[in-house]
Parts: sequence; structure tokens; C-alpha cells
Amino acid sequence: MTPGLIDPKVPDGVAPKPPGLIRELGTGLRIKRAAPFALALAIWFFPVPAGLTAPAWHLFAVFAAAIASVLINAFPLLTASMLAVGAIVLTGTIKPEQAYSGFANSSVLLVVIAFIVAQAVVKSGLGRRVSLFMVSRFGGSSLGLAYSIVLTDAVIAPAFPSNTARGGVLFPIVLSVAQGAGSKPEDETRYLGGYLMFCSMAGLAVSSALWMTATSCNPIAVQIIKQAGLDIDFAKWFLASAVPSLLAILLLPLIVAKLFPPRVGKTPEAPAAARKELAGMGRMSREEWITAGTFLLMVAGWIFGNQLHLNTTSVAFMGFGVLLFLGVITLDDITKQGDTLVTFFWLAVLFAMSAQLNEMGFMGYVGQRLAAGLGGLSWMTLYMTLVVLYVVIHYMFVSQTSQVLALFGVFLDVGTKGGVPLPLMAFALLFASSYFSVITPQGGSQNIIFAASGYLTQRELYKLGGIITLAFLAIYLVVGSPWVYFVMR
Amino acid sequence: MRHAPLLLCLVLATAACGQAKESSPGATAGGSLDFQGSWNGLGSRHTIALGGDRLGSIVNLKGSMLLAGSGRPGVGFQSEVIGLNDSGTGFQGRSVWTDEHGDQVFSSLQGEGTAANNRIDGTILSGTGRYAGMTGSYQFSWQWVMEGEDGAVQGRAVDLRGRIQPGPVPGAPSR
Repeated sequence: MTPGLIDPKVPDGVAPKPPGLIRELGTGLRIKRAAPFALALAIWFFPVPAGLTAPAWHLFAVFAAAIASVLINAFPLLTASMLAVGAIVLTGTIKPEQAYSGFANSSVLLVVIAFIVAQAVVKSGLGRRVSLFMVSRFGGSSLGLAYSIVLTDAVIAPAFPSNTARGGVLFPIVLSVAQGAGSKPEDETRYLGGYLMFCSMAGLAVSSALWMTATSCNPIAVQIIKQAGLDIDFAKWFLASAVPSLLAILLLPLIVAKLFPPRVGKTPEAPAAARKELAGMGRMSREEWITAGTFLLMVAGWIFGNQLHLNTTSVAFMGFGVLLFLGVITLDDITKQGDTLVTFFWLAVLFAMSAQLNEMGFMGYVGQRLAAGLGGLSWMTLYMTLVVLYVVIHYMFVSQTSQVLALFGVFLDVGTKGGVPLPLMAFALLFASSYFSVITPQGGSQNIIFAASGYLTQRELYKLGGIITLAFLAIYLVVGSPWVYFVMR
Repeated sequence: MRHAPLLLCLVLATAACGQAKESSPGATAGGSLDFQGSWNGLGSRHTIALGGDRLGSIVNLKGSMLLAGSGRPGVGFQSEVIGLNDSGTGFQGRSVWTDEHGDQVFSSLQGEGTAANNRIDGTILSGTGRYAGMTGSYQFSWQWVMEGEDGAVQGRAVDLRGRIQPGPVPGAPSR
């Protein structure tokens, strides 16, 4: 009997181990594998709703089936996304250049490079040193480690306009801490690593809601709100977000520990052992110095990228190049990064499909139709319904910015026209635009780095993501709404 | 309910996509019909400086247009706009609306396209299928939203209102 809600399962990283030939499959699995095809065909041949075009509707059919197949464990995400992209191009639903656009998307590339650079941090020994340092300070319990990570993220967040880059900074540390504590993705020790990975991933979502400058989609949403008649600056944002966001950050490691117990409780001897081992490591090696220097320069490039007109992904590419040039990472290391290639494939395909659904107007259509159908509700009911809808719809998005561009203005308009006070509606949507990213592993590009670590299965990621999003929703609605109403009067 | 979020999302999407009652503009040929609506478009904008404060930009936006009112030509359309904006001379554009059957409405757009006056006037030129022969006009105010990280922009049509004269009913005697 597992103490948490998640069933124990052999970790599969990105995918469960595929069985061999079809004839070897059990009846249950056959039905499971047939279900996504049935869903796709059912939606595909359903009459196209008025106001949509056939390509948009057909793309939705394939996209929904691909996501459903992963949720019911019929196929690994890679299999589902490869079948999906093949289907939509061969049927002429979208053009090849649209279907493959994710492979050249800067956010997707940043995830991939950040993942490889993280391996360099581990390989050079720097990761082990950092992890021993962290365990020596906070390693008395798994909870202490989780808090040290999410609080570090919350503190550095306002300096990072890209939460994907911030994920790239945190991931090597979290990976090193997990490995340093003996947690491996391929056996039962994975629970500590999985716990830390998910706390970090969800922590990024809340820290992005805490500060106006913690993610690139926040300033875009602020511009939309300005056109509606409300000016929001850095201080006003922090005042409104501080109470619900800090509460969410404080509760996050506790809630995740209940849902996905790390199976490592108090370890009072660990800090002393880590200090001893750290002393035994001696002075930093050449590789560690190079990695630390390169990493710090990358961090500086990510922080000051906007002011210096530096592309975030280019900074990562240059860091990667320097590590290759100086021999910290070798070509042999790259050839072993099969998981990274798998992640690149499925992320690029899902990213492009979601973007095309958006460009074809499907997302806007769903949002407008749902929001427009809420007339006649009291403002309080309307407010809560709009926020819940806005969060749930993120299930179909692979980018936070895309949803902000497509739906933020629509939901804000409907809410304020229905009598919801503008500051209340605005801040609820602003915060949701950050915390909803954890609802699916692909709900924000920063998630992918942690999701692809192999410590959590896809099903666990979806389950934990759904429950934690619900918890965030409750915190921001129940605690955040009265607070915003009070301070913004 | 292990897959509750996905199910909820599918239910919501299906509910939103439920078949709405369609109007048939051809059935009332001869009279003018009023409609209102909303439109959100996503796409790209490329801008060049033309000296001083003057800017020129080309835009390409696609999005979902939902219409209301008894005279609406359809429940909704996928609308695509391509246009050239010169802050010195104004905005010129063309728009294609496509419905769920693939029938289309074509229109031209023009306006001052400045921050002070962003009202756009559209003239419906013609259509295909059930919109063949349709003419009319519409107006809206244009709101721009800042560009996203990947260069995407959003345009919003505010206070979209229009009037159409449906084309002749197929098979009806010409007058």
C-alpha cells in the first residue's frame, strides 16, 4: 500500500516501456490503444461547428486524441505526437512548415539546450559540490530541501524575465541534489527526486505569479489591462500577489509530500555527512571552474538579456558551445543524450500543434463562446466561473503567452462587463496565467526540463499537475480574491 | 475520475463548439440586416521606420469572429486580415471570412490607423456559396496588444457593428 495518491510504478521517464508486437497485447491494452483513434475519428467526423473551419476542427480531433492517449497510458508521448504530426500533415490539415515550426521555436530549443547544459553541471562535479552544500545546510529532511529550492526560486525570480531560463538555472541544482541523495530515476529511490522535481516545477509557476517581472507573459497581460483602464506597476503587483503567492509557496512542499511522498523523512545525520564529504572533495577542478564560469555568464545573459538585446536561447547556445570547446562536454556525452532527443521531438510537435490550434482561431473560439454564454450570472459567480474556465482551458495550450494573447482580453472584457470589479478580475487572470502552467507537463516550456528528468511518469505529472493546479486555484480564489479586493479598493 | 481535467476540458470544448442556430442571409434577400460581433486575431506584425515618428507596418492576423444579431450572415467565421499601416497615411487591408462549410466573405478595410483614431471601416465586396452576391459594410475600433516573446501580436476588434445586403436567393426570379 503506497502512502500517497500516486501508485508506485516502474519509472519510464518520458514513456512507459512499449510492448512488442500488437498480437502480444492484452485485451485491455488493445482497447486502450484503440480508444484514442476512436476519439479522433468521432471528433473528426462530427459536423464542423458553426464558426470554425474544417482544418481547425480536424486538428483539434488529433490533438485531443494525442493528449488522451497519454493520459490513459495507451501510448508514450513520443508515439502519440509522432502519429499525430504524421496524420495532420498527410491529411492536409496543416502545412508541413506549420507542423514542423516547433523544431525552430526558441523556447523549445532553450529547453533542449538547458537540459544538456545541466548534464555538464553534473558531469563536471560542480553539481555534486552544490548538492553537498545544500544538503549540509538544508538536508535535515526532504521537506527542508524542497523549501530551500522553492524559496531560492522565489527570491531570484524577479531578475529573470524568462521562467524557462530560470528553470534552466534550477534544474542542474535539483538534479544534483537528487542524485547526491542517492535518488535515481530507474529504481525505487526515484521518489525523492520526483518530489523535488515536481516541487521545483510547481514552484516556478507560483514564483512567476509572485513578481511582475518573473515571466515574459506578465508584462503582455499588464498591457492588455492598461487598455482596459487599470495601470499596474511592479509594487502594485507585488502588493496584490504577496499574500496568496507566499501562502502557495509555503504550502506547496507540504501538499506535494502528501500526494507524492518522497519516502525519505528526517535525515538528521545527512548534513554532517555532507559536510564531511564536501571537505573530502578538495578544491574545485578545472572542469568545475569552467562550468561555474560559463553558467554564471549564461545566468547574467538571461537576467540582462532584455537590456542588452540578447536572445535568451542564443545565450544558452553560446554557453553550450563554450562547454564543448573547452572539453567539459564531449561529443560522446551528446550521443548519450537520447532522452533529450525524445523530449525535443514530442515537445516540438505538441508546441506546433497547440500554436496552430491557436492561430486557426480554435482557442479563441472556445474561449469566446464559453465566456459569452455566461450572461445573467451574478458578478461573483461570473468571476469564479471565468477564472476556473480560464485555468481549465490551459489544458489545450503549450504556451502561457499564447493563452494570454488569445484569451486574456476576452475574459477580462466579459468579466468587467458582467460587473466584476476590474482590479479583481485583472489580478485573478494575471495570477492564473502563471500558476496554470503546471496543469500539464507541457503547459509551460519551463516544465519540460523537469518533466523530462525521468523521475516522474507522464501519468504522475498529469495527476500531480491537476491536483496542484486545483490547490493553487483554491488558494488564489479563497485567499487571494478577498486580499486583492481589500488592498485595491 | 482519474482523467477529470481532460474530460472537463473536452466537455467545455464540445459545449463551446455546440451547433448554434444558423442564420440564412439569403432567405431575406432585398433588405438590410444589422449585426454585431467580436473578433480576436493573432498573427504577426513587421514594422519599419519611415523617418521621424512615422512608421510603416504590415500585419497578418487570423482569428475567430463571433457574430450576434438577427441579421448576422453566420454564427461565426474564421477571419484573416492582411494589411499595410502607414502612420502617416492610414491603414489599408483586405479580409476573408470563412465559415464551417468553406463559404467565404471578402472585404476591404481602411482607416486612419493612428493611436488617436483607430476606427476601421470595412466594405463587403462579395462572397462565395451562401454569401454569393452579398454586399455591406462594417466598422470596428482596433486595439493592439504588445508583441509576445516570439513576435506574435494580437489585434482586437472592439465594437464591431455592420449591415449587410444579402445576395439574391438561389433560384429566385430576378427583378
